Amino acid sequence: MELELGVLWAAIVFYVLGGSLAILSVVLKKRPERTVLALLATGLALHTLALGVRWERVGHGPFITMFEILSSNIWSLTVAFLLAYWRIPQVRPAAAVVMPILFVMMGWLMLTHPGEGHFPPTYRTVWLYIHIGFGKVFLGAVLVAVGISGVILLRSAGIGVEKFSPLPDSGRLDELSFRLMAVGLIFETLMLVAGAIWAQDAWGRYWAWDPLETWAFLTWLAVAFAIHARLTFKTQPQTGAIMIVAVFVLAFLTFFGVPFISTSPHKGAV
Amino acid sequence: MQVRIEAALKALASLKLTLVILVALAAGIVVSYNSEVRTTWALVVPLVLFAANLAAAVATNGIFRRQTALLVFHLALITIVLLVAAGRLTYLKGQLELAEGETFSGFLKQQEAGPFHWSRLDRISFVNEGFRIQYAPGVRRGRTENVVAWQDGSGQWQRGVIGDQDPLVLRGYRFYTSFNKGFAPTFLWHARGGGEPQFGTIHLPSYPIHEYRQALEWQPPGSRQTLWTQLQFDEVILDPERPSEFRLPRDHTLVVRAGGERRELQPGDRLELPDGTLEYRGLRSWMGYTVFYDWTLPWLFAACAVAVGSLGWHFWGKFSARPWDQ
Repeated sequence: MELELGVLWAAIVFYVLGGSLAILSVVLKKRPERTVLALLATGLALHTLALGVRWERVGHGPFITMFEILSSNIWSLTVAFLLAYWRIPQVRPAAAVVMPILFVMMGWLMLTHPGEGHFPPTYRTVWLYIHIGFGKVFLGAVLVAVGISGVILLRSAGIGVEKFSPLPDSGRLDELSFRLMAVGLIFETLMLVAGAIWAQDAWGRYWAWDPLETWAFLTWLAVAFAIHARLTFKTQPQTGAIMIVAVFVLAFLTFFGVPFISTSPHKGAV
Repeated sequence: MQVRIEAALKALASLKLTLVILVALAAGIVVSYNSEVRTTWALVVPLVLFAANLAAAVATNGIFRRQTALLVFHLALITIVLLVAAGRLTYLKGQLELAEGETFSGFLKQQEAGPFHWSRLDRISFVNEGFRIQYAPGVRRGRTENVVAWQDGSGQWQRGVIGDQDPLVLRGYRFYTSFNKGFAPTFLWHARGGGEPQFGTIHLPSYPIHEYRQALEWQPPGSRQTLWTQLQFDEVILDPERPSEFRLPRDHTLVVRAGGERRELQPGDRLELPDGTLEYRGLRSWMGYTVFYDWTLPWLFAACAVAVGSLGWHFWGKFSARPWDQ
């Protein structure tokens, strides 16, 4: 366990260095983007190693305890942001919004007990991996959308207007963020469908309105509402950005809050 | 008249109404989730409105004639709502228990069903032939492997292993093993008036959840005598310190209390009662099952696949016109 935690803390050091540099580059209007990419990619490689070592040690993937759920989501969100940072140079300054969110999650991870949990027999199915994988893509897409929305909101509040000047205008950012929401809607839908297939075989019912199912469906409705409202009312970028932040808050509470208010996120899991 | 119908359809097809319905559906979910009593209406009303809104939009909005993917997506959504409704009207969910060697006779211990469920459980027959469940240290349940035998459509007996994610599917009914299982003392009841002795089992409370409550009150068939029966054994079946497997105890005693009399029985022992003789035949295991029937499952899956596919197709067409990094 010490090796795995040592590697994980090293990964977090690289994440913090890369993320801080990304934020500083926005504030100081510098462009150390290759260094940021290298630091984040190194952190990601170390994090992958830490997850792999734990997987090998405990015999199951990082899906059970809050420590594992947080760690695997920090990993997947970093992958999502790193891909966006690498492939869409326009959104790089959104790091000033995305990285603080990831830092909060990393701080939470460091305060969480790294003990093991029981992997129930109902989790031994390929649908678990498919369900969780789709969920991670959804949250990753929404996180990048939130980063972009944060820039729109900061700009509209008159904060960092000059610092964010290399970014496209807010109209284009709004379009980009809603593209990501559309990707999010597809993967949230896939997550719900894969989860229903898993639930049918694991617990003999495809839907039972357990806390996680309920909040995941409310999140789906919120995403559908945001996309529909933007189309219907041709909303301003600020309004769209507020809706995206609201969706992210709801999704974040669903992913990380429900396990706190319910002793068994999916009833029958044990 | 036609003008009025068209105006009503257009009003029903409104995108603004869609937003109101989405909010109403979310509110209905929250109400149902927090309600102590059944509040199906809170979900049904918004879903009916949702289906009507989508259908009206498809009928009146010209965009669906120009964008096939969007049309397919909305039709798939309507289909999903209709299939869910059909499923809720015809579903069945229930629980049953079978001792080792016992044949399912169509009797469910508990059940709930839609108003239009036409039960065919009496045509289903399968036998519980025993199970294996490994436990990890800490009494952590592993995979369930339950051997079952059933009659196929041609009347031939088949055997297979079910458990956890692998149900037994017969005539659309899906039988799943549950985490409920335990010990089942078996008896022969010889009624005082003569006739064929009756064989039966009692299912003691689920093990290991009710490890320290392995007792049950029951009445032999046709008897007014209430018997209190307790299974006693000293050995540790599921060791918290090391891997183990669910099994019957090697040595056990069955304590039976009838009125003021207390007897300790071993297999083969008999207990004389005012209206008959109870013969203890030995100990078996029992397995709890859940049964689920919903004919819409494959159609729902297909409709969901079409919905996601067409949504992806729609967005792909929309976004490919302009690259992400421009």
